[in-house]
Amino acid sequence: MSIIQAKNIYKVYNETNVPVNALNGVDLEIEKGEFTAIVGPSGSGKTTLLNIIGGLDLPTEGDIYIEGTNLKSLSSRKLIDFRLHNIGFVFQAYNLIPVLTAMENTEFILELQGVPKKDREKRAMEILETVDIADKKDHKPGQLSGGQQQRVAVARALASQPKYIIADEPTANLDSKSTEELLTLMKKMNQKFQTTFIFATHDQRVMDKALRIVTIDDGKIVSDTQFER
Amino acid sequence: MLLAIAWRNIWRNRRRTLIAASAVFMAMALALLMLSIKYGSLEQMVSVGINQVGNLQVHDSGYWQNKSIEHSFFDNPKVEQAFKGLPEIKRVIPHLQTFSLASYGSQTKGIMVSGIDPKLEDQQIGLSNKIIKGHYLQKNDEVLIGDKMSEFLKIGVGDSIVLLGQGYRGVTSYGIYKVAGIFHLPSNEMNTSILYMNLTDAQRFVYPYQKGLLTGFSIYLDKPSLAEKIKPVLEKKLGKDYEVITWKTMLSELLKTVKFGKAANQIFVLILYVVAAFGIFSTVLMMTMEKRKQYAVMVSIGMNRKKLVWLSIMETFMVSIVGVVAALAVMSPLLFYMHFHPIPVTGDMAKMYLQYNIEPILPFSVSSSLFISQTVIILTLSFLSALYPVIYVLKFNVLNAFRH
Ligand SMILES: Nc1ncnc2c1ncn2[C@@H]1O[C@H](COP(=O)(O)OP(=O)(O)OP(=O)(O)O)[C@@H](O)[C@H]1O
Ligand SMILES: [Mg+2]
Repeated sequence: MSIIQAKNIYKVYNETNVPVNALNGVDLEIEKGEFTAIVGPSGSGKTTLLNIIGGLDLPTEGDIYIEGTNLKSLSSRKLIDFRLHNIGFVFQAYNLIPVLTAMENTEFILELQGVPKKDREKRAMEILETVDIADKKDHKPGQLSGGQQQRVAVARALASQPKYIIADEPTANLDSKSTEELLTLMKKMNQKFQTTFIFATHDQRVMDKALRIVTIDDGKIVSDTQFER
Repeated sequence: MLLAIAWRNIWRNRRRTLIAASAVFMAMALALLMLSIKYGSLEQMVSVGINQVGNLQVHDSGYWQNKSIEHSFFDNPKVEQAFKGLPEIKRVIPHLQTFSLASYGSQTKGIMVSGIDPKLEDQQIGLSNKIIKGHYLQKNDEVLIGDKMSEFLKIGVGDSIVLLGQGYRGVTSYGIYKVAGIFHLPSNEMNTSILYMNLTDAQRFVYPYQKGLLTGFSIYLDKPSLAEKIKPVLEKKLGKDYEVITWKTMLSELLKTVKFGKAANQIFVLILYVVAAFGIFSTVLMMTMEKRKQYAVMVSIGMNRKKLVWLSIMETFMVSIVGVVAALAVMSPLLFYMHFHPIPVTGDMAKMYLQYNIEPILPFSVSSSLFISQTVIILTLSFLSALYPVIYVLKFNVLNAFRH
């Protein structure tokens, strides 16, 4: 069974006088271990779709199932808890809690999950080593470069052992070297731990690494291609 | 980790937190200073009252309700014995008080005859210093009257005053006494209506057939707070023929005034606190606005809003607690110092204090209720300020917060 099943998703934003139809009937299935890029022009609905897949927003119509759980059926409190235990997040920026060090940011999500202090430290340290940022573990986000911050964000997402990680334009603020490093890292995690990654991107370099590219335009999927790399 | 986040969050903008904390500090320090002086003088009023009436009084049972001479009793070993066993008792002063008519020439007036032990009474309220004409009680058949009474009766030192009253058990009491001195006390009521005479004279006046009649004993303890403890002990020793009344009952009117005075000052001080509350609130408001993204990240990754509520409450409280701790740290040593080294009062104020037989000082209160009440007020205001972020974190939309 797919881990993610989006069925006939519509999303209408009613915040302004003119309703915006951001998604117009999206059907999408994601399997475990995928490394998928959602691409499309600006305003096409990538962020909207990713937010729905990430349980940050609910579809106006249609259903989203995560391993059989309909996210629409969860109360908002349960939904937060569901995210905590099932979904990892890497945002474009403002990912980390600015007053916590790299290590503490990673530990923080484990604390939320109720992992005992000792295990927390051990696991956080292991993951920071895996993403190759252990030497910066006592640095706060402000003392890290954009690329390093994103690596800590990946570490945090990995630490929670989610079913999948969503990343909305994770490389948008990075230079090409950092972009390269972050992609290599995510790819490595994908291969090593079978971690599922879904990201929205404009970035050709990201698309080049993706194993599946879902193209979306005007709130509809216009192409869906798998690659062997 | 929430605690660490909260603490570090408030210091991210060090200057702003310090400004808010100093608003709290200033308000609380000023309030403590003002109230310490005000409470101090109110508490001094209470000690004046206690000085007059004692910490406890022992009467024939029923006397407090109906102060009739019929509710008097004869001094006896049982009562004396009851006092002996209690080391907390510092001084016991016997009294016999009765109403009477006093006349001189063509003037007549209803007065209160107070039979006292001249030596003990002088030690307690310093009566001999209040004599403005003539001299203090020296011999039998002498009386002291107030300046107002002397004016009213047109009687002077050396004149003879005639007393006529209702004695004990239906006896008619009658006597002629020489005015030995005229006193002036701070209370005009006392200057108008009290006549002091030797206790033995008063006893003979009220009931010449048996010695030792009393209306009560005023009992002075080491500490006023002991009164509640000693009262039941004495009651048990004395039995139900006697009643024991504490200063709290005797001074209930004064205590009401004091309580009202404290409350009235509290209201004034509240204005100070409004300023402090505004400082806390604006800081909290800005902190919340600034942290919208941080909060949004936290909720996105799976922190429930209840925890976030705690975080925002802690942040608010930490700002004010910094101010409270600073105010307590600075003010309590200062106030304790002033409490033990009070400012001396001079001039007319000093005279008035001395008339009450009180040290002429500006007293500083260090009662724990003062510190506790101010802390509670600040914390309550912080709690109210925290309502804004609490409501915000319960309601905010994660995606909107990211977009801004
Ligand atoms: N909260 C909102 N209220 C109203 N309209 C919105 C809202 N969020 C997004 N939209 C609109 O929905 C459409 C899809 O937006 P979305 O952010 O999903 O696009 P995107 O593909 O992520 O674009 P970009 O590449 O620029 O990030 C756009 O027309 C956008 O203006
Ligand atoms: Mg987008």
